[in-house]
Amino acid sequence: MSEGALPKEDAVLRVDDLQKSFGGLAATDHATFAVERGTITGLIGPNGAGKSTLFNLISGFYEPDGGTVEVNGTDVTGMEPYEVAEHGLIRTFQTPRKLEGMTVREAMLIGPRNQPGESFVNLFARPGTVAESESANLAEAERILEEFEIDHLATQPATDISGGQMKLVELARAMLAEPEVLLLDEPVAGVNPTLAKKLKEQVRRLNEQGTTFLLIEHDMEFVMDLADPIVVLDQGHVLTEGTPEEVRNDDRVIDAYLGGGT
Amino acid sequence: MSLVDDPRGALADLTRPEAWVLGVSAAFALFLFVSLLTGALGPSYFLFLVGLAGMYALLSFGLNAQWGFTGLINFSVAAFFGIGAYGSALMTASSSPIAGGFNPLVGLAVALVVAFVLALLIGIPTLRLRADYLAIASLGLAEVVRLIVLNERWLTNGSGGVRGIPGFFQGWPVLSTFPEAMPGLRLEVIPGSPVLLETAFWQASLNVLLVLMFAGAVYFVLHRAHQSPWGRVLRTIRSDEDLARALGKNTYSFKMQSFILGSLIMALAGVFYTHLNLYVGPGDLDPITTFYAWVAVILGGSGSNRGALFGGIVIVTIREGTRFLNDAAALPIDPAPLRLLLIGVVIVAVMRYRPQGVLPPQRELIWPSAVDGGGTPDTPESGVREQKGGGGDE
Ligand SMILES: Nc1ncnc2c1ncn2[C@@H]1O[C@H](COP(=O)(O)OP(=O)(O)OP(=O)(O)O)[C@@H](O)[C@H]1O
Ligand SMILES: [Mg+2]
Repeated sequence: MSEGALPKEDAVLRVDDLQKSFGGLAATDHATFAVERGTITGLIGPNGAGKSTLFNLISGFYEPDGGTVEVNGTDVTGMEPYEVAEHGLIRTFQTPRKLEGMTVREAMLIGPRNQPGESFVNLFARPGTVAESESANLAEAERILEEFEIDHLATQPATDISGGQMKLVELARAMLAEPEVLLLDEPVAGVNPTLAKKLKEQVRRLNEQGTTFLLIEHDMEFVMDLADPIVVLDQGHVLTEGTPEEVRNDDRVIDAYLGGGT
Repeated sequence: MSLVDDPRGALADLTRPEAWVLGVSAAFALFLFVSLLTGALGPSYFLFLVGLAGMYALLSFGLNAQWGFTGLINFSVAAFFGIGAYGSALMTASSSPIAGGFNPLVGLAVALVVAFVLALLIGIPTLRLRADYLAIASLGLAEVVRLIVLNERWLTNGSGGVRGIPGFFQGWPVLSTFPEAMPGLRLEVIPGSPVLLETAFWQASLNVLLVLMFAGAVYFVLHRAHQSPWGRVLRTIRSDEDLARALGKNTYSFKMQSFILGSLIMALAGVFYTHLNLYVGPGDLDPITTFYAWVAVILGGSGSNRGALFGGIVIVTIREGTRFLNDAAALPIDPAPLRLLLIGVVIVAVMRYRPQGVLPPQRELIWPSAVDGGGTPDTPESGVREQKGGGGDE
């Protein structure tokens, strides 16, 4: 087995022997891999391979049955999602999350972490500080929306925009949380090619500015073009890891996708 | 409020339902005013009704801070109301089986502390779990509190209730003797039907002053909180708690804060009630109070503070109006079932035609000075809320 074989000196995320089963089904089966700082790492695998489950385990939404998760060298196994986020790891969801009754920029403003205005006491004790940070965050939100070329949506109801635009907004919002590593679960599923291309450019640009990405995607063209290395998951364990070229030509990967198992 | 600097602009800004509510409220106020002048409505009784409306508004503010903001389902509004009422009654009343005789401010403080502790105790085991656990636990809590009040005679005087409660301003300079000191006034606007303003009237106006202070302070706090990043996290939790967690929000803590805040406001309503009614009994903890608060919030528009205020006033109008109607028209049915029937009709009508409530949260909720800094958008705001209701998120 060649799982997690590549040497990783500066790993921002390290998953070691992670296990999780639902009833009799081992959704995550001794998975081990690491994400090198500064990379865009792909995570692929057939439907039901356990990719989303892995995200849930890493981000603290599920409690693992065994194994550890390290973010930035800190063991975050068993921590609450908000604590994992505080260590610099932010994730998005496979199905876009809608925020009823909010405008797009309002929904964006949930992104920044530890806002002074999130403390009830500060609202009355330090309204000036709250106002300042809110102005700054709003300006930042509008700047990012502009960079994503969706600033015209800023005051639209967040539930009224298309699925693809929603994915862009989710990515933009996640960036406001200033993650060191961002986990994207199928960022271009259901997104039209034009928007997908835009999303790809954004991910690449943000990566160049220093954000590490781990992304799940079924769209092979998208992943192969964007990610390096790529981790292949099958039936809960890491089948292989390598460059897009290596993965593409690996017979075991092809077998897994054809449903043959290993 | 911009109504002062730019009345015409402010009026033009109103959405249709807002204008509608404003119109109906104005007509209703006029009706009350005429009733007062003609002597059909006694001035002291009218002020009592205003106090009651303020009390219901407080209850709906409290529930709105829990359900409207965060989506917490609390079926023990009556319990927190009762804690407030009994807390202050037992501390201040001359007939109190325990302490008694303290200054009403002490009663207020004790009531709030007890409500705080109780909210914490019920929140700790339930708020980490799915929303339905709080609902079930709170349903149980309401009954437990009611039964304790009914049965622990050494503590609460049982079914006898607590009497001998002083007015809230007793012991204050000036205000404590204000009702007696005021001269009796006789206004005769319409010949033959004089309006008498006597001690009872001045006493009642003190109560109105008190409830205006309570409700005003609570509204100020909630209004600011609603527009803040704090309120935004709560609204995110209401829509999608996992999203808030993924973005690094400690949702348990936020839910706890929202739950405690709402519970304290409900207790505040109870404290006011004690000093309005000057008697509290176990009947005041009946679940009907919880029911009224829910109706008020859903009717007004979940998540909207103005809506909660509006809903509270409608509840009192229905509650007391049916009594009035019965006297005036000698209807062949009792006011109590008529009241419930009316409320049922109102709920069905709202659910059918305006599921988001009459005054749902209107504006984009961003800290005001921050938005003023950037370009204020004025286009799609009403659209946001209109379509929100269409989704029927209740
Ligand atoms: N909460 C859960 N309870 C029970 N079984 C679950 C749960 N979550 C996932 N599973 C199961 O675990 C397996 C892996 O699911 P997961 O969603 O992680 O797959 P995936 O790789 O993300 O698939 P897809 O590409 O279709 O999104 C599936 O068989 C799924 O049915
Ligand atoms: Mg998945």
